[in-house]
Amino acid sequence: MKARGGPTGEDPSPDSFPNPPPAVPAEAGPVKDHSAARRSGRETGIRAVWFLCALFAVITIFFIFGFLLFDAYPVFEEIGVWNFLSGPVWNPTGEPPAYGIYPLIIATLLATFLAMAIAIPLGIGSAIYIAELAPYRVKAWVKPAVELLAGIPSVVFGFFGLVVLTTWIRVSFDVPTGETWLAGSILLAIMALPTIISVSEDAISSAPREYKEGSLALGATHWQTISRVLTPAALSGITAAIILGIGRAAGETMAVLMVTGNAPVIPDPIWDVLSPIRTLTGTLGIEMGEVPVGSTHYHALFGVAVVLLVISLIINFSATIILNRIRRQQAPPASACVPKQVPETGWRDRAGLFFREHRMPITWGLVAIALFAFLGLTGLGIALALYLAVRYIPGRISPRWAQRIAFTLAALCIVGVMLALGIILFDILAKGLPYVTWEFLTKPPSDLGRAGGILPAIVGTMYLVLGSIAIALPIGIGAAIYLTEYTREGRLVGIIRTATDLLNGTPSIVFGLFGFAFLVIYLSFGVSLIAGQITLALMVLPTIIRTTEEALKTIPVPVREGSLALGASKWQTIRRVVLPPSVPGILTGTILSIGRVAGETAPILFTAVIFSTRFLPSSLFEPVMALPYHLYILATNVPGATGQQYATAVVLLGLVIAFYAIAIVIRHRSSVKHRW
Amino acid sequence: MAEHSRRFSYAMVGLIVVLVGALLFAGCTQQPGGGGTPTPTVPPQKTTLKITGSTTVLPIAQKAADVYMNDHASTDIQVTGGGSSVGVQAIGEGTADIGMSSRTLKSEEKTKYPNLQSTVIANDGIAIIVNKANTVSDLTLPQLRGIYNGTVTNWKAVGGPDQVIVVVGRDSASGTREFFWESVMKKENFTATQLEKNSNGAIKQTIVQTPGAIGYVGLGYVDAEVNAVPIMVNGTPVDATVGTVISGKYPISRPLLMITQGPPAGVAKSYIDFILSPAGQKIVTDEGFVPLA
Repeated sequence: MKARGGPTGEDPSPDSFPNPPPAVPAEAGPVKDHSAARRSGRETGIRAVWFLCALFAVITIFFIFGFLLFDAYPVFEEIGVWNFLSGPVWNPTGEPPAYGIYPLIIATLLATFLAMAIAIPLGIGSAIYIAELAPYRVKAWVKPAVELLAGIPSVVFGFFGLVVLTTWIRVSFDVPTGETWLAGSILLAIMALPTIISVSEDAISSAPREYKEGSLALGATHWQTISRVLTPAALSGITAAIILGIGRAAGETMAVLMVTGNAPVIPDPIWDVLSPIRTLTGTLGIEMGEVPVGSTHYHALFGVAVVLLVISLIINFSATIILNRIRRQQAPPASACVPKQVPETGWRDRAGLFFREHRMPITWGLVAIALFAFLGLTGLGIALALYLAVRYIPGRISPRWAQRIAFTLAALCIVGVMLALGIILFDILAKGLPYVTWEFLTKPPSDLGRAGGILPAIVGTMYLVLGSIAIALPIGIGAAIYLTEYTREGRLVGIIRTATDLLNGTPSIVFGLFGFAFLVIYLSFGVSLIAGQITLALMVLPTIIRTTEEALKTIPVPVREGSLALGASKWQTIRRVVLPPSVPGILTGTILSIGRVAGETAPILFTAVIFSTRFLPSSLFEPVMALPYHLYILATNVPGATGQQYATAVVLLGLVIAFYAIAIVIRHRSSVKHRW
Repeated sequence: MAEHSRRFSYAMVGLIVVLVGALLFAGCTQQPGGGGTPTPTVPPQKTTLKITGSTTVLPIAQKAADVYMNDHASTDIQVTGGGSSVGVQAIGEGTADIGMSSRTLKSEEKTKYPNLQSTVIANDGIAIIVNKANTVSDLTLPQLRGIYNGTVTNWKAVGGPDQVIVVVGRDSASGTREFFWESVMKKENFTATQLEKNSNGAIKQTIVQTPGAIGYVGLGYVDAEVNAVPIMVNGTPVDATVGTVISGKYPISRPLLMITQGPPAGVAKSYIDFILSPAGQKIVTDEGFVPLA
């Protein structure tokens, strides 16, 4: 055991350490009876299966990457990698055409950065509130509500953003158009929030109870316990949450292209959040469908996709490095488990120490409230002022006041998130509910969706969701089992984990392109249900792997050791001891995935959907209607169907809520059963 | 132990390589045999016609398909969108029976798929729209070009209110934009600050809520929520209507195409003929497009 136990002598949390000490491998166990050989053969077989699952992510990412590179190569050859990257003008259909993606790269970075500046403090504040502060009843409502936010399709976000958000920005900042960097980042922040909140909340609540009790027993306030004990213990999970959130933000296509204006210019000055921008994903989203196959423009778009992948690789790497460093600073072996002895000096010193050591969480909180006061730059300015004030007059606030302020901020975070959800839901329901009739739910569409119903789309979406989860869940869980239970952190695991993160950061539109070129054309599946299911499964795989891994990591190591010591084999331990209590965590991952699958348009656009059909699909090789695509096409290409468009959004939400309700009930049951 | 695990890893990597190789090989062998459309799952008596491509043409194709299927119960017509290029690629690769396009074939596409044949099924008039509150009465083509290339930046300069012009256009891969660029811009570059949208619906939405905005959309999108600006031709303002496009007075219109491998045949021919018939052309008119004269 590398870890040093707390007062109770137990150290059940592998979370506070980058490398959880792996349990003793079965082969090395002391048991040597005659069935050992057979048993070890079976164990090796099982291990091989999980290894294959884990490798699957690597193969997929190499496959996609290779495919993109292959299609992008001509543009690199024709224009030159450097000219392509540093060219200041993107005008592929101009005379002469210009293929410079420098402004697009800058825009992607800016949009993701601002979105994260809004979403990370809000998300972690909300997660702390849900995990530690919320009364049971509030928690029972707020947690599903946050997950519901994840289920709102990006097309709906886009239209909400275009109609409500951009108008608000145009009027309140008095600019000619509200389609700006700020609008894009706010929308991206809202979309990344559910991922950040759910995964961080899981990590914080799964910090062992003994830590909290120990800290409180030593006289620390609740806030000190949260900021000095629980949050550091959950840092690995929070890291995962942030990386997943960045992936969501950097890869989002449909919503972003609707609100950022898509003018390929660099903001001038660079911090002008009211300038229109055009991101890499937006470029792919708006140009891919219409570009002539085989032209330089077509290859240039694949070049854009390659750059996008490389950027998400860099973001992932730097996020991992930065957070590892924070983890090392904040969680030195001794103080991670036990809060430092509160020195017997004056409260001034205590508070000073407190603030010096916990700059991060406090800053997050302050940034959050500032953003709420003014949303955007003004807010950031005030946050900076507050931060500086806190930095230079540290001795003036007592721990009790610090707690009061911090809790208020956390509550404000969650109020803000709920407010965003409320506004969006109200907008959809008010405009769509009057059109949701029995006929609408049970009839096929007619008159291009202006009349009739959407039954085939409901059924099609169900098929797509169930199929993709059925494919992704076993592979994802298998990969996570391999990564957490069977390996030390080595080079191979590093590669697999990087590939998973990359897959997560891959924009959904790229999956769509890959699905179209590989499944639809190369494997001759045609535009079909199965092609859509596989494409979506690839897309949700990283979320499932990541969240399952986190769930498995929360199972205390001694529990595994106990099982092994009693003579159970590795696999028996995993199946009977480790997996059952991880179910709630795995379910959270699956719920998030369902929300994503049900609402995605980009990956199915070219692979699975048909605009209108009166028949239900009779085989896996037929195309289907799907709710998000129906919504997208009604919104963009069928004039005079606004009511049906919002009604479709309502039905899509209803469907997602139904899925969620089932999963939440299961999770609730199992979380009551297993408590450490 | 360490060596055991390393050997294990190597063995697994080898296994994976073999599996992937097998998958690829299967893909290679399937293609010539499969001949593009894997139809054995469809009952033989039901004929399936797959149509894909331009989302601009999609409403016509879908509505025509609905009516056609009412009369031909054994035919299942599946219409999907994705864009003109998807349509061309799908018909070229044989994954669809008809491709829809809102632009003519590019030279790259003609080289790659030499057998493709286009049939014009309708025309699409492009209307210039501005916000309801905008008082500008008409625009000449040079004024329009000035607005879109960035030399005219205030509505005051073209007879409107004192307001900054927000230029809204389609994305650079759009057939509509290309057409606009050739016929209105005379291949001059658009201003860099132009907001780009990927659909008629999105352009209209922006125009509706942005007082200073100007954009171009298909005729079907013009309604009471926006003002369509008449275009000055030889000193007379011409409204954007189906009538003025047919008569040739309105200067901004383009053809919409259905693309087949070789001349249309079988069900595809019967379907395209239906669209070209008076009943089919009525659908074209109903959807806000311009019927063939």
